[in-house]
Amino acid sequence: MNWASPTVRTLVLAAALVAVLAVLPQFLSLYWLRIATGALMLAVVAQGINLMAGMLGYPAFGNVVFFGIGAYGTTISMASHGQSLAVGLLAGALAAAVLALLMGPLLLRLRGHYFAIATLGLNEATSAVVANLTGLTGGGTGMSLPLAQGDAAAIAHASYFRFVLLFAASLAVVVALRDSRFGLACRAIRANEEAAASAGVDALRVKTATWIMSAAMTAVAGGLYARWVGFIEPTLVFDMSISVKAFVMFLLGGAGTVFGPFVGAALIETITTLAWSHLLKVHLLVLGAAIMFVVLVLPNGLQAFVLDRLRLMRLWRREAS
Amino acid sequence: MELIAQVVLNGILLGGLYACMAMGFSIVWGVMNLINLAYGSMIMLGAYVTWLLATQLGLSPLVSWPFAGLALFVFAYFLQRLLINRLVRISIFMTLIFTFGLNMVLINVNLLAFSADVRSLPQTFGSATFSFFGLTLPVGRGVVFMMALGMTLALHVLLNHSRVGNAIKATSFDPLAARLSGIDIQRTYAITFAIGGAIAGITGALIATTYSFSPVSGEIYTMKSFVVVILGGLGSVPGAIAGGMLLGIVENLASLFLDSGYRDAVGFGLLLLVLIVRRQGLLGKRFFAEVKM
Repeated sequence: MNWASPTVRTLVLAAALVAVLAVLPQFLSLYWLRIATGALMLAVVAQGINLMAGMLGYPAFGNVVFFGIGAYGTTISMASHGQSLAVGLLAGALAAAVLALLMGPLLLRLRGHYFAIATLGLNEATSAVVANLTGLTGGGTGMSLPLAQGDAAAIAHASYFRFVLLFAASLAVVVALRDSRFGLACRAIRANEEAAASAGVDALRVKTATWIMSAAMTAVAGGLYARWVGFIEPTLVFDMSISVKAFVMFLLGGAGTVFGPFVGAALIETITTLAWSHLLKVHLLVLGAAIMFVVLVLPNGLQAFVLDRLRLMRLWRREAS
Repeated sequence: MELIAQVVLNGILLGGLYACMAMGFSIVWGVMNLINLAYGSMIMLGAYVTWLLATQLGLSPLVSWPFAGLALFVFAYFLQRLLINRLVRISIFMTLIFTFGLNMVLINVNLLAFSADVRSLPQTFGSATFSFFGLTLPVGRGVVFMMALGMTLALHVLLNHSRVGNAIKATSFDPLAARLSGIDIQRTYAITFAIGGAIAGITGALIATTYSFSPVSGEIYTMKSFVVVILGGLGSVPGAIAGGMLLGIVENLASLFLDSGYRDAVGFGLLLLVLIVRRQGLLGKRFFAEVKM
């Protein structure tokens, strides 16, 4: 094994991170365990956005649609058809993948703002349809999952570890994509789609395939969310602020990086939690101001910001000596 | 048949308001390539200014709308000068996220200042209606429709027949060439954003005359602005009017024939359809932001 290769180095780092996450619950109260679970969930949604926006350059602003589809797919399989969680997650992921497969060729011809809005429209339209298919989804009143058996702490830990597994899988997918021929095609499309196409990249196919992966990943996060909270309704799982939060996390951590979404998720969830618990009346204001601050001060993400400062310090020291 | 005609008429009345609203959104998007997700909250600010003037000073919205427009003009001007100006040239992800954050701040400010209660003003014209050919036209909505249409046309004149309008259009087409011919780009952006703000404020005043509102009802107006702009074509005034009326009619017909819950789904379905089939919108030309895709 070549230890110097970037793939191996990233995978070792990823394994270390997952190991830390696995022992983390030993040190957390149930309250903070819940926050950590939510942060991991959003980190996975952010990885889904990382695939589309970071690698491909397509701002999939309404990616939360797959989160909602996954949540409903899982819930319907489990509650209405008595299937296991694994089958439910698979059904949710499959439904999301099919939606991405159908909409990809239509919407991925749009770029920039137009693509962002199209995904937003897709989310709103899907949400409204789900809210009105009362027979299948229970409509606006929502759906409940069968209650998990066992004591509260064990259930909370189980939910957390499911998200750790999913997060580890999403890291593996992003690393594998980054360092493959497919990832190269993605980056070529991001840099210049016409040039990539003329060099023989089947752009539409690559874009649709990436969206399908992003959709499946996001859908499993939605399914695990449904299992975790036990109750879903359309406004809860098709909530644009899930997408936007994930987008901010992805930007804060650094677009197109492997660990960026995780760093962003950890930071934003901590800020949100502190704002909720200490400043209930102004928590939206605090979070909104934090988002504005990130964009104004750290437009290239935290990683680039820190690296820039380090380089400056090194230069400055060299000058001084 | 009469019912359908009535529903279409209601749609057209609503469409006038949508057209006016969408122009403020459209001009900022078209000229600055910036999608303002806080637009709906700015409309709500306008509605609250109108509400304050009505409850504190007893001013009718028909008198106080210029104040709502002016307040939001000033607010938007300084917002652009102080903050958004730094973002115009960076990626569209950033501006989307930034205005989403701004939206959260504005919602929270409105919640703190005006509470979460749903507000409404006493109807200026009561329940007076005007009947013709068996159709009923509520006078209040008719007046709002005329005002919204008048505002939209005034903006059209401003854009096409004034120095400021020329500067805005030139900046939209080619910022570099505009600067070379002596246009102050930063100032033009600030004025464009401020005009967008003023229209949001006036739309808010018009909404306050006929509808109830709360700090969180802005989001639905942002969404509707999106739909109208996509339907009609970016930066096009006739497009906004056509798109607004189409949305108003389709929404009302959907409530009639489908379940009323499908009202919004139909609007977004229409949006997706137009994006897929004809991205420049029904009446849009390759104009404004089409140039800088």
